Amino acid sequence: MTTTTIAPSRRRLPVWGTVLAAALVVELMVFSLTNTHFFGGGAGMLSQIELFLPTGIVALGLAPVILTGAIDLSVGATASLSSVLVGVLILHHVNPVLAIGIALAVSTIIGLVNGLIITLFGIDSLLVTLATQFIASSLAVSVAGDNPPFGFPDMFLALGEGTVGPVPIALLIFLVIAALVMLLIGRTGFGRRIVLIGYNPSAARFTGVRVMRTFVGVFTMSGLVAGIAGIVLAAYFNAGRSDSGMSLLLPAITCVVLGGVDIFGGRGRIGEVVLAVLVLGYLTQGLLNSGVSSLTATMVTGLLLIVALVVKIAFERRSGESFLGTLRRRFAARTGGSPGVGRGAKGGSEKAAAEPRDPAHS
Amino acid sequence: MERPRPVPVSADADTTARTYSARNVSKAFSGVPVLEGIDLAFRPGEIHTLVGENGAGKSTLLKIMSGVYSADSGSLELEGEALGPLSPATAQRRGIYLVPQEPRLMPDLSIAENLYLGSLPRGRFGFTVNWKMINNSAGDVLSRVGLSVDPRSLAGRLPLAHQQLLECARALAHGCTIIFFDEPTSPLTSHEAETLFSVMDDLRRQQMTLGFISHRFDEVEELSDRISVMRDGAVVAHHLRGESDRASIINAMVGRELTMAKRKTRPERSGAPILDVRHVVSKPEVEDISIQVRAGEIVGLGGLVGSGRTELSEAVFGLRPSSAGVVTVDGVDVTGRAPQDCIDAGLIYLGEDRGRNGIFADVDLTRNASASVIGRLPRKGRLIRKRQEETMTQGALQNAGVKAANMGLPIKSLSGGNQQKVLLARWMMAQPKVAIFDEPTRGVDVGAKEGIYEMIESLTDDGLATLVISSELDELVRLCDRVYAVYEGRVVGELRGDAITSDAVGQLAVGAA
Ligand SMILES: Nc1ncnc2c1ncn2[C@@H]1O[C@H](COP(=O)(O)OP(=O)(O)OP(=O)(O)O)[C@@H](O)[C@H]1O
Ligand SMILES: [Mg+2]
Repeated sequence: MTTTTIAPSRRRLPVWGTVLAAALVVELMVFSLTNTHFFGGGAGMLSQIELFLPTGIVALGLAPVILTGAIDLSVGATASLSSVLVGVLILHHVNPVLAIGIALAVSTIIGLVNGLIITLFGIDSLLVTLATQFIASSLAVSVAGDNPPFGFPDMFLALGEGTVGPVPIALLIFLVIAALVMLLIGRTGFGRRIVLIGYNPSAARFTGVRVMRTFVGVFTMSGLVAGIAGIVLAAYFNAGRSDSGMSLLLPAITCVVLGGVDIFGGRGRIGEVVLAVLVLGYLTQGLLNSGVSSLTATMVTGLLLIVALVVKIAFERRSGESFLGTLRRRFAARTGGSPGVGRGAKGGSEKAAAEPRDPAHS
Repeated sequence: MERPRPVPVSADADTTARTYSARNVSKAFSGVPVLEGIDLAFRPGEIHTLVGENGAGKSTLLKIMSGVYSADSGSLELEGEALGPLSPATAQRRGIYLVPQEPRLMPDLSIAENLYLGSLPRGRFGFTVNWKMINNSAGDVLSRVGLSVDPRSLAGRLPLAHQQLLECARALAHGCTIIFFDEPTSPLTSHEAETLFSVMDDLRRQQMTLGFISHRFDEVEELSDRISVMRDGAVVAHHLRGESDRASIINAMVGRELTMAKRKTRPERSGAPILDVRHVVSKPEVEDISIQVRAGEIVGLGGLVGSGRTELSEAVFGLRPSSAGVVTVDGVDVTGRAPQDCIDAGLIYLGEDRGRNGIFADVDLTRNASASVIGRLPRKGRLIRKRQEETMTQGALQNAGVKAANMGLPIKSLSGGNQQKVLLARWMMAQPKVAIFDEPTRGVDVGAKEGIYEMIESLTDDGLATLVISSELDELVRLCDRVYAVYEGRVVGELRGDAITSDAVGQLAVGAA
């Protein structure tokens, strides 16, 4: 057989990551120039984002789930439960380390249960996690009781507000998780399987990927990470509030999407999600600090998200294609109306979780 | 989005005969020219066939003519009138339809919905979908392509062969009169292809303008009124019906003489079977099948599509449940085990549905090829060494004869035949003891087919136990030491050595034992 040489792949600069990085720099410059309080000698800037970090942490656990083409709506409620749980335990004089361990174990179990229900019963992840969200948040309310726990020892509070040098501990936690998830997705077999399932669950199954196991793993991880976010929340607020986590869900999804992860699975980079967290976090905080009401800030965030997504499509244009052409192609790829291009094999990817039935289990 | 036009529901909507031509069409993908100055006219009442090696540009040309891609230069003319920029939707409105290389149906929608997708006939006020009309007219259109199925059943349930016919019916449902078929027959048995051919013949008699791509010369010669040979993005030869001589066409295609090699006679094997399948039942397709494959032999499964060969393989490979039977691979019991366990035991299965179950369309070549060996990739600690992974897969792809510019390309940008070779490479990387190849040369050109046969032979000589499923009788004759004929989920006969002839296998395959 004739042998032809195939060149190695070319490393290309991730376009969207560059755009996000540029946006971040511009944003920080604008806020620093217009608001001296914001810059605060550099260190001040680092702590600006603290409030947003729990959201960012949740986004890191959510990103792998979305990469498989599934969704986890229970992360916010899990974070609430974890924050209440750790608070109640600490106030009952449980060793803080043990308290954290228990809260994380419970969060992990919620994730595990999500994964098991989704795979064993073949129910869509959206529905399952919608249900477990209610369960987790009502558990949080009942654990919190009439007097939600507050007033924790300093050692615990450091997780939310402490610093190592100029760097907030919460930011370190975020960055460490980010690095781990990045390696996990990019460099491990588990991550590779996640991505392949996201692109084409059926082909993944035919290629020997243990689809069910991977789903269970991904949801378990998402539960664990949400639990960590809950602990940071409790430390930041110095209280375990049963509603604190719920407000994390939508911003976290926003970060993942703004970070370029395809909501239908497969495509996406964790590094870009990290950038998106920083962009969105500083934007929200910068606006609030500039005296904009939180209502306006939210609205501006929404508008910018739309602008960002449209800009992203413009960057995905194929050579020689008009902007409208790109839109049409993307639309066609989703609806299956157009031949050849797009992701033919992806029809029904929303059912990704329902499709793989190991004969061993059925 | 344009509003859906009412669908012509009568069976013979717009049958005006029209010539459709490409004038000086060129196209490059990221700087690499794929088509260079193509001039070609498709005439009404004719089947015009394109032949050429994998990657010659056949699919690209038809995709341009049906609005999937746009040409870089040149024009498209319908009855001498230049068409503006074309999208698949506008092409369809001008009556132009491409039945693609891989059927692209929505598996979770009904057959009728698939037929009218994008332009469901509306009720009187335009708000509601007229289901009654759809289901009735769907029945008509389906019968025109010889499909007798319930229009309300799910499209995903149809065998691949019927999905192809459904695609064709879709063209008719939209009143198209210029229909291109991109390798429609590669997943079909010769018997099933006959159905499609008689449909195409009908359409030709109705003065439709038909384009056709195929790598199978028997059907090319039987069907075509005109044959154009493409090579490296240009049309290099034209032949009219009757004046075509196979050798000269192939010569124009690949630039050298080609002859189908003879089967290599291997010594008869007597050791313990490496793949031992005993009384496997997987209803409804697999009734009761037992087969054995020994190291160093190539065993074929002959039969019609729907005879249960693919379903048997899927049951053996742990992709579908079996209700009875035992499967062992080199003495290891893998009955009911997951695909990954089978791979670990040394069994691999190259499936027949490349588009849906084989490729990860948007993923690069490296990760496509290494997908079968994720757990065995070179690692540093727990982290995959990407450079080494790429070098490793690069070697495997080159051995399989894949032609591609670089390893980072998404596999969907390769021609169909080259995609198939990537999948072969994927499975060879798993270093199997037993390989089941389901239609291994599907969509592979004549020149490269021989390459794949040689690859299978040399792997077998090195001790692989090989099971080949093929709808092409010639392929079984060319490769196999033994052939089991499967009919309606049972083995109905076994042929050895020189007793394996197309006729003999064909007879058994239709149950005429
Ligand atoms: N979207 C794309 N991006 C980049 N290159 C492409 C794309 N589509 C096709 N090509 C390249 O264009 C060339 C022609 O491909 P095409 O699919 O037209 O070949 P073909 O003649 O249909 O081959 P086959 O018989 O294998 O189907 C190939 O080298 C292929 O890699
Ligand atoms: Mg092709």
